[in-house]
Amino acid sequence: MAQTPSPDVSPPVDEKRASFEREALVHLDVLYRVALRLTANPSDADDLVQETLLKAYRAWDQYEKGTNAKAWLLTILRHAFINEYRRKTRHPETVDLDAIEPYAVFSEVQDEDPQGAFFDRIVDDEVLRAIDQLPEAFRETLVLSDVEGMSYQEIAGILQVPVGTVKSRLFRARQLLQAKLYDYAVEMGYIKGSPA
Amino acid sequence: MNCRECVEHLYEFLDRELTPELEREIREHLEDCPPCDEQFDFEQLFLKFLRARCRTQGAPAELKRRVLRELFGE
Repeated sequence: MAQTPSPDVSPPVDEKRASFEREALVHLDVLYRVALRLTANPSDADDLVQETLLKAYRAWDQYEKGTNAKAWLLTILRHAFINEYRRKTRHPETVDLDAIEPYAVFSEVQDEDPQGAFFDRIVDDEVLRAIDQLPEAFRETLVLSDVEGMSYQEIAGILQVPVGTVKSRLFRARQLLQAKLYDYAVEMGYIKGSPA
Repeated sequence: MNCRECVEHLYEFLDRELTPELEREIREHLEDCPPCDEQFDFEQLFLKFLRARCRTQGAPAELKRRVLRELFGE
């Protein structure tokens, strides 16, 4: 039997779906990239994104339309990751973030390669691998900022930390990542230098 | 503004997170200080490089289909 559209019910559903597609589903790539860096596993990233979007759709009435869907979705994703995936995929870290010394690559390379041209020889996979080696607190901050272009305020909201913490984590995450990539570039002979 | 103060704000400047006044002070310092200017350039190029390397990946087509199926029964 052909379904007859029910005018009393279908318009709100269509509207909900349309607004969800317009405001939430457009961020699928962002959610996937962040999920992949958090879980370090494509299959877990798929599951995490799907769960995030199902939760978001169920809670869609609570989201104030036209505000900041990307930040709202990333907050849901991160909660889901902490509650359900971290225990399975990665053990909570015991790294002392304050003990990680900042290392300025620029001072090493300013005579030989002040524009950092050696970075350009490093391929995508190697950069992603280096990011995956960062402590989780640094990694998530760096990905939200440097890959997804979120503001300090947005990141602070998603990670539930003060803006000052975002700043200091971002500073150290970038320095640490540069040092890792610099070491790799030296190893590969892209730049002479001495390993950091 | 001296070099130390300038470099302290390096990332906030590149991330466009400073007040217009502070941003102007830094710009003025960079115009007069080639070493700081060189360091800011280096860091800016690094951030561009990072973004370019990490944004090529998107969600797999199969995940898109799966999500639509779960959400809307398609």
